[in-house]
Amino acid sequence: MPDAAVPVPLEVYRFAPGVDAAPTYRRYDLALTPHTPVLTALLKVRAELDPTLALRYSCRSAICGSCAMRINGKSRLACETPVGPELERHGRVVVEPMANQPVLRDLVVDQAPFWQEYERIEPHLKLDPRHPMPEGRPNPMTPAEVERFHDTPRCIACAACYSACPAVAADPAFPGPMALAKLYRFVVDPRDAARQDRLVRIQTEGLWLCLRCHLCTEACPKDVRPSERIRDLKEMAIAAQGPTEPGSRHAVGFASNVRERGTLQEAKLVRQTFGVLGMLPQVPQGIRIWRKKPEVTRRPGPIEGLDELERIYAAFEPKDGR
Amino acid sequence: MRLAYYPGCVAQESGRELDLATRWVCRSLGIELVEFPRFSCCGSGFVDEANETLNVAINARNLAIAEGAGLDLMTVCSTCQGMLTLAKIRLQDPAVRAKVDAVLRPMGIDYRGTSKVTHLLRVLVEDVGLEAIRAKVRRPLAGIKVGAFYGCHLLRPSDELQWESPEEPHAFEDLLAALGAEPVMYRGRVLCCGFPIQFVKPETAGRIAGRQILDAKDHGAEAMATPCPLCHISLDAYQAPAEKLVGRSLDMPIFHLPQLVGLALGANPDELGLARHLVPTDAVVAKLAPASR
Repeated sequence: MPDAAVPVPLEVYRFAPGVDAAPTYRRYDLALTPHTPVLTALLKVRAELDPTLALRYSCRSAICGSCAMRINGKSRLACETPVGPELERHGRVVVEPMANQPVLRDLVVDQAPFWQEYERIEPHLKLDPRHPMPEGRPNPMTPAEVERFHDTPRCIACAACYSACPAVAADPAFPGPMALAKLYRFVVDPRDAARQDRLVRIQTEGLWLCLRCHLCTEACPKDVRPSERIRDLKEMAIAAQGPTEPGSRHAVGFASNVRERGTLQEAKLVRQTFGVLGMLPQVPQGIRIWRKKPEVTRRPGPIEGLDELERIYAAFEPKDGR
Repeated sequence: MRLAYYPGCVAQESGRELDLATRWVCRSLGIELVEFPRFSCCGSGFVDEANETLNVAINARNLAIAEGAGLDLMTVCSTCQGMLTLAKIRLQDPAVRAKVDAVLRPMGIDYRGTSKVTHLLRVLVEDVGLEAIRAKVRRPLAGIKVGAFYGCHLLRPSDELQWESPEEPHAFEDLLAALGAEPVMYRGRVLCCGFPIQFVKPETAGRIAGRQILDAKDHGAEAMATPCPLCHISLDAYQAPAEKLVGRSLDMPIFHLPQLVGLALGANPDELGLARHLVPTDAVVAKLAPASR
């Protein structure tokens, strides 16, 4: 027996820039079974209640990546988000366009910034001319080499991660999770000859602005886990070039800072990251903090068993030629 | 209840008020905190960026210390909790485990994965229980509108942490309500405080912190509370620069989680180190009635 229809209050963001003074939320009351996808609900609105609603969609099967939008605040695909659980948690279904991209109309955003970041990482194989593709067959990879991709080839470029990312929202210099996950895919590809160049370049082109908040990993409908691949890129970039940027200096400096005493020496870390001159802009706020919390300049520790920690560090520090 | 207390670096230094308040609250709730001077830093996510296996190994050592005493390990920092939990998960991979064991075992350190990693917030809500806490409230935080700020690493990655919904968590709000406060719901409560890039690009970090504070303020919060001392640094110690970056007055007192619990259980502000904050908490404290006996 089919599930019974339940009342679904759908509140949809409506905005035509240049026409409307400000965005509004229009409410449509539908009756749908709980497993109905939000996309189906929106198409029903457009077919039966309001033909002016603008939205982007295509396959309805979570393959094309066209229908990403914010549903009750979370960036996700409308075609694979049933209304039932949303109603249970929120009592209504609020649908808004993706964030971090300008609205063209209603639920349709201008994806140009997202695609520009994608193009910037040069998402194509740069084959090594010294190792041409074997004639008549694709360049083979071992299963272990394929495993290094993790789930990055599954990315459908829906931009849900880009919409969810607070670093994208706060700083145009951050390429966004999708572009970095794609970059990772080429960096670990054994056929790609540009690994070193790619890693060196990304160090100055936003890699270190990732907050590792994992909002992208939560948003991703394909479990690409961009935040984890960005972490991998950071470690590979340090191995490729050493700590050249504030971000990599902070990571490497943090590790060596803790190695000395087993616990963090806070003020020293700021100096390690910015250098003596670079930390000057930090000084006024640093003094305000120090007045309330004088321990920031203290040299804490050492912990008991520091020798054990040292042996762990020594065992896992990068070996030459890594 | 006995727990291995993992205070983390910040609570032992610039964030000592968190340690002070934690000890006060645990004393008053009968939670025995067992200390281990052998614990090292968890790596705070930064060691993980530089060297993933090293990060797992130093936390395997931390976990083994608690295991040796047969105790679960309690943090007071979302990030420490996240790093220690992450290490446990990574150590389920036999290849990682073998690499780490090969270094730890010869030193007589035997990681087994038997101790649970938890956080003060979870201990209060799940182990002590809201009823027991409600019964001990001597100074209800009545009429105080508080925005809980979870910090990323208590919630995400949710499939690995296996705790509350990363989108609609409620443990912190439930606790605030049990203390008599009025929890404020706002989107920013599950977002990032900006701390990880505070020392990479301070102006971006400040904008992110400022946005979350504004979001709480615009939803009516007169104070915020956090279970993470790193969030506290971003939201309190760096609130002045954040205010300039978002171009609006913030003036938002930021409490460590156990400070609010302590106030409700009858502690005085000195016992909780409230004077150590950069943004004064006086206006909130002044609204509270004297503690009952």
